[in-house]
Amino acid sequence: MAKDANQSDEGIRWALVVDLDRCTGCQACVVACHAENNLQIVGEKEAAYGRWTHWIIIHRYWEGEYPNVKARFMPIMCQQCSEAPCEPVCPVFATYHNEEGLNAQIYNRCIGTRFCGSACPYKARVYNWFRPEFPEPLTEQLNPDVSVRTRGIMEKCTFCIQRIRRVEIDAQAEGRSPTDGEIQPACVQTCPTSALIFGDLNDPNSHVSQLAHSRRSFRLLPELGTDPGVIYLKGGEVNV
Amino acid sequence: MSKKLTRRDFIKIAAGATAATGLAPVARRIVIEPFVQPPEETLPGQATWYASTCRQCPAGCGIVVRTINGRAKKIEGNPLHPLNQGKLCARGQAGLQVLYNPDRLRNAVRQSGGRGSREYEPLYWSEALDLLAEKVSSLGHPDRMAFLGGLMPDHLYQLTNSLLTALGTAPPIIYDLQCTLEGRRPATQLSQTFFGTADLPVYDIAMSDVVFSFGANLFETWMSPVAQSVALGSMRQGKLSGRGLIVQFEPRLSATGASADEWIPVRPGAEGYVALAIGRIIVEERLGHVGSHRDNAVLYQNVDVREMSAASEVSVDTLRRLAQAFADADRAVAIPGGYLSGQHNGFASMLAVQALNRIVAQIGRQGGVFLSTPAPTVALRSKPEVNTLSDVRNLIKRMNAGEVDLLLIHGTNPLYELPAALGFAEAIKHVPYVVSFSPFVDETAVWADLILSDHTYLESWGYQVPSPGTDRPVISSQQPVVNPLYDTRSTAQVLIELAARLGGRAVEAIPWADEESYLQELVTELYGSSLGAFDARTPPGFWTLWRQYGGWWSEKEIRQEPETTDIVQKPLPMVDPQFDGDPEEYPFHLYPYSSVALTDGRGANQPWLQETPDPMTTVQWGIWVELNPQTAEELGVEDDDIVLVESPYGTLEVSVFVYPGIRPDVVAIPIGQGHQDYGRFAQAVTGSNPLALLAPITDPDTESLAWGATRVRLSPTGRKKKLARLESIDGQGRESIG
Repeated sequence: MAKDANQSDEGIRWALVVDLDRCTGCQACVVACHAENNLQIVGEKEAAYGRWTHWIIIHRYWEGEYPNVKARFMPIMCQQCSEAPCEPVCPVFATYHNEEGLNAQIYNRCIGTRFCGSACPYKARVYNWFRPEFPEPLTEQLNPDVSVRTRGIMEKCTFCIQRIRRVEIDAQAEGRSPTDGEIQPACVQTCPTSALIFGDLNDPNSHVSQLAHSRRSFRLLPELGTDPGVIYLKGGEVNV
Repeated sequence: MSKKLTRRDFIKIAAGATAATGLAPVARRIVIEPFVQPPEETLPGQATWYASTCRQCPAGCGIVVRTINGRAKKIEGNPLHPLNQGKLCARGQAGLQVLYNPDRLRNAVRQSGGRGSREYEPLYWSEALDLLAEKVSSLGHPDRMAFLGGLMPDHLYQLTNSLLTALGTAPPIIYDLQCTLEGRRPATQLSQTFFGTADLPVYDIAMSDVVFSFGANLFETWMSPVAQSVALGSMRQGKLSGRGLIVQFEPRLSATGASADEWIPVRPGAEGYVALAIGRIIVEERLGHVGSHRDNAVLYQNVDVREMSAASEVSVDTLRRLAQAFADADRAVAIPGGYLSGQHNGFASMLAVQALNRIVAQIGRQGGVFLSTPAPTVALRSKPEVNTLSDVRNLIKRMNAGEVDLLLIHGTNPLYELPAALGFAEAIKHVPYVVSFSPFVDETAVWADLILSDHTYLESWGYQVPSPGTDRPVISSQQPVVNPLYDTRSTAQVLIELAARLGGRAVEAIPWADEESYLQELVTELYGSSLGAFDARTPPGFWTLWRQYGGWWSEKEIRQEPETTDIVQKPLPMVDPQFDGDPEEYPFHLYPYSSVALTDGRGANQPWLQETPDPMTTVQWGIWVELNPQTAEELGVEDDDIVLVESPYGTLEVSVFVYPGIRPDVVAIPIGQGHQDYGRFAQAVTGSNPLALLAPITDPDTESLAWGATRVRLSPTGRKKKLARLESIDGQGRESIG
């Protein structure tokens, strides 16, 4: 694959490792994400239409039939692709690629064409069909570091860019660089089994780099050439 | 000259004008300042983190709360806390919505239109307390008062207990649905029977190579789900000795079962038989590496593996293979879970499971069962103990007989949480005066005359000794992370003020000026203990560090090896399961299970938790009944069809979820929805409470509710209600409206 500005080996490439052998499907990441990123609640009726706004969803796949049935969990969030299909389709450059490998979304550019949502092969993007409502005093729960998106805006997982910046600024004030594992998106921070690990893929010594080379690792839909920044580790093998 | 006024210039001028008109001329800059006098520790726009304890379930995980400008913004796990090690579950993450819930009570209130009217009139606290004091002092006899509580923080339990004892009233009855579903009372009794102590044991999942979980939903709601999940992570991929194996024995594949390596769909109530058969095979065939099994032979002398296999519908080959795996493992542990305890023969099954740990010599060993070391001070050891259903039944009987004149209810919602057939709803009408301490108008508070609304946990003081604990003594501290939002008052403070009003022995029993000084006195007893993870030079310094760390714990691991009692010298009991309902008329076993998001229903008023998809069904905001595909076909129903579920005690209409991971003779319904009250988000979900179906029967050994022992029948209604699923069942993906 040709190297371009998106795929520099220099600098930082943020990546998330999802260890499926540890994931229990417990939904802690989902609620942590709601709390951190001011996601709106749509209610039963709209949720039934698929208009929910979760930035992480945990897919559950059935395998086999009773009594030899298994269920497997797979958390899916924005894959932060290097060759992101959502980026070139945006007519207003609301979705773009930053120098740290993040697929970023500029909310006040978004005009709600939803082209990016259609282009995303991972179905990781959600659309605000309605104006969010936070009955008082639920507004107090809102994170001041993250803007609240209004109706007509497309949104998705940002790898909690505000938390990345927070740690970077704090580290800078102390005259050092963030250490590996210090930066944790909300989902990673809370994950009870530590199934989620976050770090710099370009740093060969980081935990994510090590895990990315594990023989259990794979990425979703590799045949599309999107080069995702989310790396999965296979689960369910006994005595690996 | 015409200079065009740019937007930027306009804003500058406008801002200047505002500054000039709004402020005195000496002011040189505008500072947007939300407080008239900001609290000392608060800088505008800067986050301050406070350590406290989560109260969304009784586990006692440590939390740190990010607050900005005096508002709580995010809850995270306390990374120093030995129990949850910085991690938190979905419910813990949603705690802000307890604090900022729009349906909270904002004052002490009296029901002005009479009980059940839902018309409230605010009261000044002094008035409310006078009213309560007058009700207490005008009782004919102290016995005519009763206190019903949920699993409350330890300090509140102690205060309540001391006050009630001083007044000559019976100690508080502790009973809530979460404790029932996780089998806390039977687990305590098991510990008592097996190890001679009431402390709940810790099952060392992290270090184990083989875990047999008998109906314990380890990674959802059972006991200490976050600590157990942390342990799972290390067991699976964190050990050098290789990946551990988990086998789940239960009639319905739970999310825990899905995370397990193998699921054994045992017949309901026959889990103990499986454990007995596995034990018998290990002892008889001298499996494993513990040497002689002669001491254990007596345990299994009456067990016939073939009979057990037939009764549990687990083949002898499978039993033998599992026995081999369990005995051959370097470290193996068997866990008696909540579903076991919810059977008519629950205690017998739990004994059989615990005995497995004994025969592979895993009691007190790494990767086996151990007890956590208690805190070094006596005062901090007293903690609430869950009462039996018989105690609750007695209370109901007394209420019906008019023997209770004053009922105080804290932290439990019996009208929702008890099986309707027990008749609490009727009994409460016979109590002349009912006081609730609920911060929300729940189903029970609707029947209270007076609601002395407590603070929510993020506004409260307290401490808790987590039980089950962890590998070292831990006392988790709770402190307000924000100032109370409203004119609510902590129940501990209310009791202290009540005692002051009552005078005499009451004030002698709890003489403290306020809750904080009481706690400070209690906690600083730990000052000077050589075990602690932090050192303080003075008692006040200790109090500060206690709050900063979020509690006190030992720096080093201290495990306690349990000593087995003489239970292990008798044959294990073998008790046939019994179910309420004629099998001909009611062909299915009902399995009501606690929801990962809503727990026992207490989470239903939090929109984040309502919108959280159930892990197995991906349904949000709903209630459903899970049917095996074969069962659904026989009934002629499919996904989203409404069926009528009938037990001998009640009925329920609910949508079908065709669920491949459930036995054909079992139907499962999640608990948590079906609220009549409890706020807009809880009431937004249509459906009724599955507890209406439950037979009020108990396991005679533990006198705990046999919540898994009711039979039901199902009939199609011909109607449909679409469940709000995340997954698409028509293959069209999201937004397939039609």
